Amino acid sequence: MATSLMETASAPDQATLDALRESVAGVLAEQCASTAVHAFIDGKNALDKALWAQAASLGWLGFGIPEHFGGLGMGAEGLAILHGELGRHTAPGPYIATLSVAQTIVETGGDALCQTWLPRLASGELSAAVPATLDCDGLIRTGAGVSGQLRCLGAADAAFLLAPAGDDWVIADLAEADITAVPMWDRTRDIIDVRLKDARPIGIFHNVEATRAVLTQAMALAVAADSAGGARSITERTIAYMKTREQFGQPIAGFQALKHRAADLATKLAVADEMVRHAVQRAATDQPDAAIWATLAKSEVTESCVFITTDCVQLHGGVGFTWDFDPHIFLKRARLNEVMIMPNAALRDRAAAALADITMSGRSALELDV
Amino acid sequence: MSILEAQHDLSAFRQEIRNWLAEAVPPDWKSRMVRASNEEFIEFQRWWMAERSKVGLAIPHWPLEYGGAGLSQRHLIAIADEMARADAPQSRLFTISLIHMPGTLLPHGTETQKRRYLSGVAKGEVWCQGFSEPNSGSDLASLRTRAVRDGDHYVVNGQKIWSSNSMYADHCLLLTRTDPNAQKHRGITYFIMDMRSPGVEVRPIRQANGRAEFGELFLTNVRIPAANMIGAENNGWRVAQATLASERGVISFEGGERQRYEIEAFYRRSLETGAAWLRDAQLHREFISFLAEMQAARRLLRRVLEESNTQGASASVLPSIVKLSSTTLRQRICSFMVRVSGVDGQAFSLLAEEPFGSPMFDFLSAFSGTIAGGTNEIQRNIVAERGLGMPRI
Repeated sequence: MATSLMETASAPDQATLDALRESVAGVLAEQCASTAVHAFIDGKNALDKALWAQAASLGWLGFGIPEHFGGLGMGAEGLAILHGELGRHTAPGPYIATLSVAQTIVETGGDALCQTWLPRLASGELSAAVPATLDCDGLIRTGAGVSGQLRCLGAADAAFLLAPAGDDWVIADLAEADITAVPMWDRTRDIIDVRLKDARPIGIFHNVEATRAVLTQAMALAVAADSAGGARSITERTIAYMKTREQFGQPIAGFQALKHRAADLATKLAVADEMVRHAVQRAATDQPDAAIWATLAKSEVTESCVFITTDCVQLHGGVGFTWDFDPHIFLKRARLNEVMIMPNAALRDRAAAALADITMSGRSALELDV
Repeated sequence: MSILEAQHDLSAFRQEIRNWLAEAVPPDWKSRMVRASNEEFIEFQRWWMAERSKVGLAIPHWPLEYGGAGLSQRHLIAIADEMARADAPQSRLFTISLIHMPGTLLPHGTETQKRRYLSGVAKGEVWCQGFSEPNSGSDLASLRTRAVRDGDHYVVNGQKIWSSNSMYADHCLLLTRTDPNAQKHRGITYFIMDMRSPGVEVRPIRQANGRAEFGELFLTNVRIPAANMIGAENNGWRVAQATLASERGVISFEGGERQRYEIEAFYRRSLETGAAWLRDAQLHREFISFLAEMQAARRLLRRVLEESNTQGASASVLPSIVKLSSTTLRQRICSFMVRVSGVDGQAFSLLAEEPFGSPMFDFLSAFSGTIAGGTNEIQRNIVAERGLGMPRI
């Protein structure tokens, strides 16, 4: 698939990416501390709005958008850093939907759509929604408009929806749409039911397969990075807790049965991080096997993250089962990540089909630099 | 141009290795090694070492003054990568000789010891390691094999176990207890033992996979010259750390690359023959899952190599994390292979050359990964205590 991003901007170097991570992590540590997230899920602050405004002013929403469309041109690597850090802090907000839609417009939207929408997405003026599962039936074409009902990932005030409609994918204006927020166990994410009647398509993607593929890949990388960041964060918090919690006259972190579980979590985290890095690098360098590794990173890492967050609840003991401690927030986000885009089994089947194609054509999807 | 002459241009260096391997590796070596007797295996290993020696690849990573080529780690990685790509024989008989012995002698040996022993390896001398004992496995420092000074010799009595290829070894890296009253780490002395000394008896240990790679060493009044001590008396534990740290990941890297080619060839064969497991959605998904994990493992092995040249390498727990992930992945892969191979995969087949012989043989052999070199349980302790800062109680 074409990446106009790669054509228009040189890839950011490692020092730039390191500085980027440090800056994002610093802001989130301040804004998205555990107490702020707990207050948010209890409806006591508007952390999502405040953070969105700050993200916009810091240029985060333009990480994946080329500079001449108002972004920072940080590519897949920059996006993975952002999503990873958002996951670390269970940050609320429609980042995955909006940034993945922006990526789809960048890569398959053509110049007119790019010029219309990318600057407004980069500035944070608009947020976008996408179907919660991408193998859905989608909308139907009704005359010049589109109609139907879709459960979507995105904020209740999302400006538009990118979804399949008939033989195309469309950007549907949500100004006149009937939108209902769906209360979710994961309160750090917005899921909405969107009802459209003859809504105006404000952009049309005729290349259905390419559009679905680009959106799937962008979301897969985002969800995988979010999950890896979340898993590492809750593991660190859990081990810190185990060093302070005493039973039988000693910190429970000293018990070998628990140490071994913590070591296994650390091992799973190392593997998950490499899966994300591998997928991101293949995407950033536009390799023919990039889609395989993105979908596999999503399926593998989200399941690892569910395992890890589950174990972190258990390792906390009684308080792990309370609303006031952190593990349940990560666990709920992990469970939603796990089922996003499409079922992991379906993603694996797609990866397997693509792998078979590459292998039968005499090439390899396993090349790595030494 | 020879391989070593091309060393200043890494891609030319690779190409020269590739050319040489295309000529030197007998196409039928694997099928010949299947069911080869121990003697045939040893003879083949010595022949392959001699072939490597002819082109300067017997001990390429050793310093020039001791007969090596002084090649960098980048070169070693290139050699390992090309060996894996060509499915060339591994020099398994010489692992201790090539890695652990120089890793110990170069930092801690006397000049006489280095001159005497390093040059022997290119000529085919085989070394083994006498570290573990029947009652000192994970708790290695509790070892009890006793060495008592007698004039200019030490007299050694005791028993060693899990000593790979000790049946064929010329020399042994031996840990003994010289001060039974000292704290356990402080009473250990390190020796070079001639395996032909009177009082050395080796009995092979048959493994669950049918082969006998390990030997058990029975040492009865074995006399070792004091000049064969490595380092100072009672300082052997510190010297042993050099032995244990000497494998900097190149062997594991090569293993990971060999596994990649094995899995890819298996998958291509399955597609070409329309293997039944491809039509089983669950098995297919399981395969694609471990493929993703394999790719992550290969990347992690590369990170260990990168890290091994840095200051923080000795304190890092990354090698332990990588051992945990790679060895359990290997078991998952082998378990998968057994399940998709049906009854045929369990037909008894004893291969002298691993990896990647018959499914059940490989599955059984994969336990060596999770048990040898510090069990995975010991690795978990290391990760938790040194890596995660969990208290040792």
